[in-house]
Amino acid sequence: MDYLVKVEAVSRRFPLDHSYVSALDDASLHVSAGEFLAIVGPSGSGKSTLLNLMGCIDKPTAGRIVLDGQDTSALKPARLTALRREKIGFVFQAFNLIPVFTASENVEYPLLVQGVSASERGKRAAAALESVGLLSRAGQRPDLLSGGERQRVAVARAIVHRPALVLADEPTANLDTHNATQLIDLMRDLNRSLGLTFIFSTHDQRLLEHTPRIVRLCDGRVASDSAADGGSNE
Amino acid sequence: MSKFLLLAFRNVFRNRRRTMMTLFMVSGGVAGLLLAGGYFAHMIDSLRESTIRNGLGHIQIFTAEHFQRDEVHVLDTGIDNWRQVAATVKAVPHVRGVAPRIEFYGMVSNGQKSSIFMGSAVDPDAEKSLGFTSNVSSGRDLDSRPGGEVEAIIGAGLAKSMNVGVGDGLTLLSVTSDGALNGVDVQIAGIVTSGVAEMDARYLRITLNSAQRLLQSDRITNLVVGLDSTANTDAVYDTLIPRLTGLSQQMKLKKWIDLATYYKQVRTLFNGIFLFMGLIVFFMVLMSSVNTLLMTMFERTREIGAMLAMGTPRFWIVALFMTEAVIIGVLGAVAGVIVGNLLGALINISGLHMPPPPGYTVNIPFLVEHVPSLMIGSSLLVIVSLAFASILPAVRASRLQIAEALAHV
Repeated sequence: MDYLVKVEAVSRRFPLDHSYVSALDDASLHVSAGEFLAIVGPSGSGKSTLLNLMGCIDKPTAGRIVLDGQDTSALKPARLTALRREKIGFVFQAFNLIPVFTASENVEYPLLVQGVSASERGKRAAAALESVGLLSRAGQRPDLLSGGERQRVAVARAIVHRPALVLADEPTANLDTHNATQLIDLMRDLNRSLGLTFIFSTHDQRLLEHTPRIVRLCDGRVASDSAADGGSNE
Repeated sequence: MSKFLLLAFRNVFRNRRRTMMTLFMVSGGVAGLLLAGGYFAHMIDSLRESTIRNGLGHIQIFTAEHFQRDEVHVLDTGIDNWRQVAATVKAVPHVRGVAPRIEFYGMVSNGQKSSIFMGSAVDPDAEKSLGFTSNVSSGRDLDSRPGGEVEAIIGAGLAKSMNVGVGDGLTLLSVTSDGALNGVDVQIAGIVTSGVAEMDARYLRITLNSAQRLLQSDRITNLVVGLDSTANTDAVYDTLIPRLTGLSQQMKLKKWIDLATYYKQVRTLFNGIFLFMGLIVFFMVLMSSVNTLLMTMFERTREIGAMLAMGTPRFWIVALFMTEAVIIGVLGAVAGVIVGNLLGALINISGLHMPPPPGYTVNIPFLVEHVPSLMIGSSLLVIVSLAFASILPAVRASRLQIAEALAHV
């Protein structure tokens, strides 16, 4: 079976003084295109590390990650940059919008990096903002948006270039329950309507009710995978 | 590209107070350079014009032989048919006039004591028509009215040495063009002070006619050409070269700049001082901007991490930081040029004077010239300085580890 993401026996250790701390230990995971997957676990379980590795912004100490058929460990930095630019969308815990850009300009940014023309960028940014219900706030700068709105702009920015994979690291951590639920529902809707693959991490159990696949990490290892267990959460 | 520039421009004003401080420093540097450079330019230009007006003229004409060998007898390398040469020169546009000169030397005596003099013979009318003046401290300048007495003006040092004053008499002894000894009695019409002690101790000036009688020659040493403007020197020089070719004597022309040794030394000194000031401003802007831009980089670490995560090429980050620095440089330079010119104009209308320099007795007007090349040069200096200052923060930003940058607090 062709998987979009294959995490194969991946370990990631970080140096600490004269020793090492292991953030991921022999973790394996296969994700198909169009999946909506949550990675859960307590703090320090390796959720962010796993997302960073799948997002090609960090390199594993051992094992390999294959993204859309490409072994990322064999790619040079410039090719990894291009891979992130074309195949991956990111939603960050702290939104990380560019504060001097408007919502629309922030959404345009991945297209700007790809060299898309200004008129095309404008159309696609408007469509992305409309899909997250924020077209009316397109001209506002991030400091004038609420936390929930900022994260929806971040989601629009992550999907505007139609990536194969959207990675969201604790996207609800800075949101209240209402906004957090809305955001997860929005991502699920986009997953269904656009067929985009979403992988997000959270430690909030309440957000997992409608998540079809849940991967639990514990001490850097995959403790359980609802797909592998044969069950679905939905 | 326009969005990229927009991002850089908006980033410049993210922290307005910090940006204003940087702009204040940059514009202050530019304004300071403009004021100092404008004052130096005024000093240099004034010195140039006073050097020319004090008798150097814009162009001097000699025989070519004058530069090829030393004279065996006085004036044997002088210009023979100088009236014809002068008439040719006067016919050229932009020439205000031509003054013949004889440079000679000899002994001067008061009957009890003798001394060496360095003589200069002039046509007083021609000198006056060109605006050439002597710094007469007592008495009066030479005039060309024919009279019974041969008049002379002498340096203050020579007058002191000979113990004479205005109205007293002296005897000049010199070798004629034939090698014979000749003498003439002169009456002192005036005492001059050049400001240079060595010059004043030997200086003597008489009329051209008197010198030709003393030296028994119709020749002159050189012709001094005065123009309507110093800016026309090169054009007139180029016109004169072919017109003075083919005469019975081969002529050699010298521009004022080739003869103005003191002017060139002063200009070199001022240029050196200004270069030093420019270096100070360059490093002042560089060092303070590096710190400011590094602070900016640290504050935007997570944002840069996000941009890199989204596939932004690392050289874009370098270009972004350098563009921001250059924008600050351009804005600071524009503000500095405006402020510098306004302050310069205020100084010019205020009528301020600087104390007289050594050897001078007159206050020098404190004027600032508005020099376009100085504005461009000063602006480029601070822009380049800021661009240099941005290299370290820009490279550090572009080399951030993305995962670490995203976790930066």
